[in-house]
Amino acid sequence: MKYWLNNWKRRVLIALAIVGPGIITAVADNDAAGVSTYSMAAATFGYQIFIILIPMTVLLAVTQEIGARIAIVAEKGLADLIRERYGVRIALLMYGLLFLVNLAVVIMNVAGLKSALILFGLNPYIFLPAIIVGLFLFVVLNSYSIVERFFFILIAFYITYIASAFLAKPDWGLAVQSLVIPTGSITPRFLYTAIAVIGTTITAWGQFFINSYVKDKHLTVEQLKYSRAEVYLGAIVTDTLTFFLMVAVAATIFANKLTITDAAGAALAITPFAGQFAGLLFGVGLLFAGLLGCVIVALTTAYAFSEFFGYSGSLDEHFRQSRLFYTTLLVQLVIGTIVALMPNISLFKITLAANFINGAILPIIFFFLYQFANNEAIMGTHVNNKAQNWMLAVSSIIIITSVMVGIVGQMMGW
Amino acid sequence: MLYFAELYGKKVTSADGKTVGRLTDFAFLATDQPLITKLRIDTKVGHILVPISSMKAVNGTVMLSPGYETSGVADNELSVRIHLLDQQIIDLKGNKVVRVNDVVIQDKPYFVIAGVDVGMLGIARWLKLEQWLNRQISHFGTSLRSNFLPWENIQPVELSRGKVQLKREEAKLTKLAPEDLADHLERLSVKNLTKILDLLPSEYEAEVIQNLNVSRQRELLRSIQPKHAASILSLIDPDEAVDILLTLSERRRQVITPLLTQEAKKRIDYLLNLSTTDIGSLATTDFFTADPEETATSVRRRMKRDTTLATPLTYIYVINKKKELVGVCNLHELLLQDSDVPMYKFMIPNVVAVYLTTPPEIAMKKMIKYKIYSLPIINDRRGLLGIVTIDDLVENMQEKLA
Repeated sequence: MKYWLNNWKRRVLIALAIVGPGIITAVADNDAAGVSTYSMAAATFGYQIFIILIPMTVLLAVTQEIGARIAIVAEKGLADLIRERYGVRIALLMYGLLFLVNLAVVIMNVAGLKSALILFGLNPYIFLPAIIVGLFLFVVLNSYSIVERFFFILIAFYITYIASAFLAKPDWGLAVQSLVIPTGSITPRFLYTAIAVIGTTITAWGQFFINSYVKDKHLTVEQLKYSRAEVYLGAIVTDTLTFFLMVAVAATIFANKLTITDAAGAALAITPFAGQFAGLLFGVGLLFAGLLGCVIVALTTAYAFSEFFGYSGSLDEHFRQSRLFYTTLLVQLVIGTIVALMPNISLFKITLAANFINGAILPIIFFFLYQFANNEAIMGTHVNNKAQNWMLAVSSIIIITSVMVGIVGQMMGW
Repeated sequence: MLYFAELYGKKVTSADGKTVGRLTDFAFLATDQPLITKLRIDTKVGHILVPISSMKAVNGTVMLSPGYETSGVADNELSVRIHLLDQQIIDLKGNKVVRVNDVVIQDKPYFVIAGVDVGMLGIARWLKLEQWLNRQISHFGTSLRSNFLPWENIQPVELSRGKVQLKREEAKLTKLAPEDLADHLERLSVKNLTKILDLLPSEYEAEVIQNLNVSRQRELLRSIQPKHAASILSLIDPDEAVDILLTLSERRRQVITPLLTQEAKKRIDYLLNLSTTDIGSLATTDFFTADPEETATSVRRRMKRDTTLATPLTYIYVINKKKELVGVCNLHELLLQDSDVPMYKFMIPNVVAVYLTTPPEIAMKKMIKYKIYSLPIINDRRGLLGIVTIDDLVENMQEKLA
């Protein structure tokens, strides 16, 4: 009994030590852009869209697990490996693509922040720059473990979506049932929406981020098992949150046949049906999703920069030591803020561009993941097994088709 | 100086002009003296490794000498592409510093890795944008410098463990400034380069051109008047002149050669026909060696004790445990050192040496070029066989002339 207890205690300690990368990356996939997409999907199709949640969770879990495993076994980030194995030309190209796509996602997140501020009646021209500067200073001045705790606090605010869902008094039976039993007819518009939801969840930056972040946490091969569980848990937590968010929207906006164009609109539209508190909670959720998204995506670019070009880059280092790392972070945030504050900016075009580059870069990233995860010189005994390779191949095909169809759909205005 | 980025992918032909494949890698020894031992050629049916001694010239293409052999990788050989290029450089404490953007190769007197390029130009070179970038930057009245990290800063032992580690902490690392005018001029556009060269006295101009890298030399001689080109070529060392001439197109060469001075033409022809002469008869074994770890004081004490009867010594040769010649140091440098500094800290690792098969003329040229009064004679394993001194060589020349 005592042994069992000790063993159990040990396991809990290990689990606590490894928790972070999987959950943070996965939840950050529900950034402001994600929240907007999920809201619109649920507003348009209601419970019908729920059918994609479980397959999406599997896709997310599989692709993220490979990334985390490579980082733990090789003790190198994805960008490190690309540079070392494929040379400077490919590295430069990949960095260029990643920089562009991440910049677009950062802009979307800052724009999400901006609309949340407007929702609360705060002047974005004053508060947005202030928040961004504060955010940047916070990340620069604090160590990895403190920044990680901050991420967890941001994630905790996603609970507001669960609360919103309960306040919306949905048909829980129908909601759960819709997860496994397809309802309604499948139209091109439905497919396109489903695909857009997957496309904002499984992203290029997510693949880079989990890799760099795991590496920065210095997990060991012995912790591989736990890390895998954490990544899977992260995918489940993320999509559970998505589920509640969608429930909140489906039970109110969809049930009353309203249309919305973004997440802030959803927060406003929920209010008459679920009460002011629910709307407020939804808005708070958007605010924190925007915060998490813009820090993490900008951080991804910074990590990739330091890995591709070999400069020092870690949250544990001072600004002086990792100057280029933090500068990359700052540049993204500043551009994001400026663009989001431009009065006549077309977020639609930026979203289109982001999805397009995401679609272009994801197949390449999956190719690299496949190459590295199957390379015995890198992975030793931890190479992909057949099932994992199949999953990766299937995931790639689904995501690539998704993103491609998504781009066409967006251009055709489905 | 050659850059790996410029050599990578170059066509390799055999002596009869047939294409063998493309140059994709070099094998080198991870020692203080990182000699390049083999070149890797990717052919249509796989890849082959060829000893570097078979590599004849680095012009537009790389040529292999007739009857070249192929071989496998030896245990102590590392690959430029796998172990050095694109790798992360860490300092003594394990902090990330930068990545290896390009590898700098010294081709004279033998192929050896001089260091690595860690600057922007190293990246630009891979994109074939080096000159373009320099042109753009020169509009702003400044020039980009190569961030060259000399080999002396790298721990060779760590390379085989997959680490490119520095011998010191990053903060103390002093990045080397361009060593001479040629190095500086290399970064200018051809137009600006010719402008500056025009201002120099012609002897000095020739000397500078001699020190430019091959591709710059070629560009320069392509763009200037044939008469000017010929006058430059007449002034520089004939063996260098031969090298440069070979990089030009056949037609351009035929325009320039008749314009050379009579004397230069003769010398260039002579060089092509130079026969190998045995230098062994001139060698002496009267030399003084030290261990890389031995301190300056210990060496000074040993010299005082053991060499009272010897002929005056000019150099101390540093020999490692494997009996390889890894460095050299002159008496003045030895005197300047603090007492407990080990030899490897201040020795010159790029030893200018000759082989038994080196003709005395070439040995002489090396001595004059590098201002050295005696040259070590080594075998192919870098074992020190003896030295040849300048007075012996002069005597030999005199005899020949008489």
